[in-house]
Amino acid sequence: MLLWRQFTMEWKLYLRDRGATFWTFAFPVIMLLGFGFIFRGGTGPATTLVWITRTAAAPSDQALEQALAQTPVKVLRLSPEEASARWAKGETAAQLESAPNGHHLRVNSYLMAQGQTAAQIVQQANLVAQAKAQGLNPELIPVSLESPGGRVAPNYAAFLLPGLLGLNLLSIGLFSVGMVNVAYREKGKFRRLGVTPLPKWIFLLGQVLQRLTVSLVQSIILLATGRFALGIHNQGSYPEFFLVVIIGTGAFMAMGFALSSLANTVEGYGAISNLVFFPMMLLSGVYFTLDAAPVWIQKAVMALPLSPYIKALRGIFNDGAHLSNYLPGLGLVLIWGILCFGIAVKRFRWT
Amino acid sequence: MIDLALRVRGIRKQYPKVLAVAGVDLEVRRGEVFGLLGPNGAGKTTTLEMIEGLTPADAGEIEILGLDWKHHGREIRSLIGVQLQSTSLFNKITPREALDLYGAYYPTRRSAQELLELVQLTDKADAYHTTLSGGQQQRLALALALVNDPELVFLDEPTTGLDPQARRSLWGVVRGMKAEGRTVILTTHYMEEAEALCDRLAIMDHGVILSEGSPTELIAQLGLPSIVELTFEGPAPDSVSFSAHLGLPVDARGERWEIPTADPKSALPAILGAAETCAVPFCQIHVRRATLEDVFLHRTGRSLRE
Ligand SMILES: Nc1ncnc2c1ncn2[C@@H]1O[C@H](COP(=O)(O)OP(=O)(O)OP(=O)(O)O)[C@@H](O)[C@H]1O
Ligand SMILES: [Mg+2]
Repeated sequence: MLLWRQFTMEWKLYLRDRGATFWTFAFPVIMLLGFGFIFRGGTGPATTLVWITRTAAAPSDQALEQALAQTPVKVLRLSPEEASARWAKGETAAQLESAPNGHHLRVNSYLMAQGQTAAQIVQQANLVAQAKAQGLNPELIPVSLESPGGRVAPNYAAFLLPGLLGLNLLSIGLFSVGMVNVAYREKGKFRRLGVTPLPKWIFLLGQVLQRLTVSLVQSIILLATGRFALGIHNQGSYPEFFLVVIIGTGAFMAMGFALSSLANTVEGYGAISNLVFFPMMLLSGVYFTLDAAPVWIQKAVMALPLSPYIKALRGIFNDGAHLSNYLPGLGLVLIWGILCFGIAVKRFRWT
Repeated sequence: MIDLALRVRGIRKQYPKVLAVAGVDLEVRRGEVFGLLGPNGAGKTTTLEMIEGLTPADAGEIEILGLDWKHHGREIRSLIGVQLQSTSLFNKITPREALDLYGAYYPTRRSAQELLELVQLTDKADAYHTTLSGGQQQRLALALALVNDPELVFLDEPTTGLDPQARRSLWGVVRGMKAEGRTVILTTHYMEEAEALCDRLAIMDHGVILSEGSPTELIAQLGLPSIVELTFEGPAPDSVSFSAHLGLPVDARGERWEIPTADPKSALPAILGAAETCAVPFCQIHVRRATLEDVFLHRTGRSLRE
């Protein structure tokens, strides 16, 4: 059958491009291993506090130090010269200076989020130290790191894995599928096909199916790496996880094809795809929640496909949730995919 | 009624800055080899690609083997074979794979092996497309044009970049197609090729067809069957005063003057006389029959390979 021929030929040509093939599979694995080893401790990213040492240490310093040892902040003791050099380089997020009349905190406005977290922890530790000095024994509220589904992940990388996979597949769709097609069209590689009776949809579907299988292989490699190198387990069912991968990847590839029909040059495509990629990524809720945004933005974002896709991946993988909990979101992703594929077939040009 | 393989009426193509094709009419009979000649940028490729359905025409009608693009796109594509002026394939496909793949798109097909033998590419059958030489890629493009055993073949400059032997073998392929009753439409920049292969020719420039007919008709239409050539050692001198003296137009071309004439018998003594009077330092003189090249120069005012 023609579609099968087209599909196998795509695979053959794909595998012959060894460099590209290698990086497609190696890149997400390297990312995962990198994050996995950085955050081996189990919690999320820690922040460093620079503490400027003085020659004569006051007793309150010792109490504060003891209190800080109970927190995730890493204390780095530096001399005033070392500290000001580090501050000047912009590497310090928060810096604590102790003078006889008390402490002073400086937070780097460029590293606001980390600096403020560190500062708050220091404030809290200081209150604890003061309370203890007055003979009190303050009690802290216990905190645990858990996924929304209630399972405890052994490693911060476990939270990253589904998101990493999801974003990686999105970028394959937008960049490797869409961009490559614009480049090929620009170079005239489709012209010869344009004078054959090959239907456009078979050509496009052949490519989608090939890239889909590529992304499945990629997911399997990533999951295997997570499992055997970092001990991250899929808490849900594998078939359901892969089904979500397929739906999402297919939709993002179709989106890549649809976008590629809007551009005539690779440069033009770069602009268009960034216009789509960055808002979708930033608004998807992958990096921060949108509780503070105006309601209409929150509503509009609900219609974007990335966030339900990542939610389903995370839910299944980290919480062992069932696919059935995510059906409306996945339906939305599917609708996006079908619409985009329709646009892609309709607007596809050989020249 | 004559059985037409191709009928084109008033096709036009306006690019942002140029009117590439400014209303072209063509009729090509079944079984004919038809040539489209013209200098660079004349609009040949644009004309062919509109007919092949690759470039949308701004206006005009196209009928191929009695079918029109609007209703019979797939049938037309199945029946025609196309060699584009430059064929860019996927880098790492081999000739054999390309022929098998493209063959699979058609209801009828010729075997890859047979086509590879036809264009003498058997020893490169399994090499990546990017590693083929320019001429070998060109031959693969020809084989691809024949993969569906087409009724009508379009060849856009099929012999450009071919060595003399490959060119002769392409001529053989074209003659073979004609012998089988198929139709071939080709463009070329080689006049001897057009003369050797084509039953009929059209000369085009600036997007319009300037004249049309068989090679002998075109030469006869010129009305100047003979050319007297004066050859110089080194660049030809200015011909204005000589031409005025002779009373005939003179074309200075490189190291020679060409004087077209309908009656060489009486022109020759006059030319020799004028040369004597004007003290023209020519070293040779000879008379030859007008060729297609002369027709081309006269119609377009340009040399073909300029
Ligand atoms: N895609 C395009 N965009 C803009 N102008 C174009 C395009 N293609 C062709 N042209 C212009 O149209 C005119 C005709 O080009 P065409 O390729 O048809 O010439 P040609 O007769 O095939 O020339 P050659 O002998 O060099 O192949 C030229 O002036 C060319 O610059
Ligand atoms: Mg051309």
